[in-house]
Amino acid sequence: MPLSYKNIEPLIISGKNTFSKWMGYFGLGIGVLMLLVSMQIFINIQQLLKENNPRKNGFDFISVSKNITNENMGKDNTFSRADLDKLSSFQGIEDIAPLIPNQFRVKATAGDIIPFSTDLFLESIDNSFIDTLPQSFTWQPGQLVVPIIFSSDFLEMYNVFAPAQGLPQLSEKTISSVNIFLECSGPKGAQNFKGNIVALSDRINSLLVPKSFMNWSNLYFTGDSLAHASRVFIKTKDANNPRLISFLENNNYHLNKDKIKFGRIKSILQNIVSALGILGILVIALALMLFSFYLQLMIAKSKDNLRLLLTLGYSPGWLAKSVVKTWLPVYIAIIVTALIITELLQILFLQLSFVNNADLSSMLHWSVLLIAILLLAVTVFINSGLVKKELSKII
Amino acid sequence: MQINLQEIVPDYISKDKVNKSQIWGKNLIINGGEHLHIVAPSGSGKTSLMHFIYGLRKDYTGNIFYDDGDIKKLSTEGFSSFRQNKISIIFQDMRLFENQTARENIEIKRVLDPYHPPQKIDEMAKRLGIEKKLSQSAKTCSYGEQQRIAIIRSLMQPFNFLLLDEPYSHLDESNRKKAMELIYEECKARNAAMVFADLKPIDFLMDEKVIYL
Repeated sequence: MPLSYKNIEPLIISGKNTFSKWMGYFGLGIGVLMLLVSMQIFINIQQLLKENNPRKNGFDFISVSKNITNENMGKDNTFSRADLDKLSSFQGIEDIAPLIPNQFRVKATAGDIIPFSTDLFLESIDNSFIDTLPQSFTWQPGQLVVPIIFSSDFLEMYNVFAPAQGLPQLSEKTISSVNIFLECSGPKGAQNFKGNIVALSDRINSLLVPKSFMNWSNLYFTGDSLAHASRVFIKTKDANNPRLISFLENNNYHLNKDKIKFGRIKSILQNIVSALGILGILVIALALMLFSFYLQLMIAKSKDNLRLLLTLGYSPGWLAKSVVKTWLPVYIAIIVTALIITELLQILFLQLSFVNNADLSSMLHWSVLLIAILLLAVTVFINSGLVKKELSKII
Repeated sequence: MQINLQEIVPDYISKDKVNKSQIWGKNLIINGGEHLHIVAPSGSGKTSLMHFIYGLRKDYTGNIFYDDGDIKKLSTEGFSSFRQNKISIIFQDMRLFENQTARENIEIKRVLDPYHPPQKIDEMAKRLGIEKKLSQSAKTCSYGEQQRIAIIRSLMQPFNFLLLDEPYSHLDESNRKKAMELIYEECKARNAAMVFADLKPIDFLMDEKVIYL
């Protein structure tokens, strides 16, 4: 009979003290499953909502305008220089950019292909506030083509009413090929331009033209270069900052939070999932504690036998390894089972009706696998360390 | 191969006893193949000396060298390997696993570093008259039988030194002789030294250097 754990197994496994062992295994299984599933869901949310998140580089961009009430209707509700200074000096607001509207009349037609004609408004803003800024978004005096950044919400709205009006629906790609004719006119003159949609913006609900065009055309058509903004964009780290919200409310400003809601929902979802993950870690820690009690009790009960084995020449290292081998296969089985269940849940998740993102893989993310391996390594390290420590007490 | 005892004095022993002893506080070298018979009455430290040499206790001053290595400085893993193939012992209190059978008790030692095949257990058990006890749990065996199990267990491994701490205290004359013959044969086969501690000189021992503790 070669040297193996089987020889000494009856000397170490002690009686019916298995409740804490099985509870330890069970707790570990639940904890690992919670951690792995929450990690995978966290990653899924990250990937699913990535494209729709208007939050960029950790900043929220929100639109602020003055509240229109019965009292101030008809009055000047634009932002004065003092208003803008007050806004930009508030702690929590990183930067501001007023949206400058056109002061002249703009009529748009879509040529012969789409029989469509409407009065339009145009706005301009600092380029740094635009989420989708192509290089072609520039204009110089004398240039007859004006680049336009179109709100993707407007495109959605257009596609809703277009069929009822006998107009063709437009995709994000085809809209750039639609010719828009802009008929600009004011007290000082009139001129036609060709509008070219160069990008769609999720962040700004407007028709944006380059600032250079807005400054030139306001002066050219009206003779007045002092255009006042009715809307201001704010760049902030957290649009839900209570201090910021109360500051804006106290100043009677209206905050358009629609655009940040999606990001916030994502953030809340991720917080919930993170809490689940943290709970998983706590359960794992408790399970490890319970299992360590079992190991300590097992070693304490087998103390005399273990001492005699060491006296006879059994190596403490070999004994520790042998004890580790009794629960290692169970640990591996628990973690592999948790991985399989997580994988099955991931496949089920992909069947959900609201998940239609082709980018989402049915396979588990590599970081989930990595965590599973790390968990195994950590649990083995902790438990084998404990066994060695307990054995060294006997020697 | 030698064990060198250099001025060993147990922490608990009186100065008077040290002065009278031929071992305590003196230098003694035990060479390979040598037979040493340590004679001393109860309570004079025979078991302590055996445990010091085997590395179970360190409550002494002086040094014990195995070749050039100080036994006191061996690591826990070092002790394991020392006990697996360099030194073997028959404890006065036997130290068997009570719930294991006689064969399992012997086998647990044999598999560590097998010097003999498993069949040798049956052969030795037959020679010592306990072949029918091999499948019996140790706790159901008499002291004399347990002593013979402990003797066979100690002979299952390679060793250069065999320590015997009153190994025949529960054996009759005939069984003592049989056991002694077996031990002589096994030590001779390994050219190993034998350190035999007992209460009084034993007449059938051969070529022993007798030392009074």
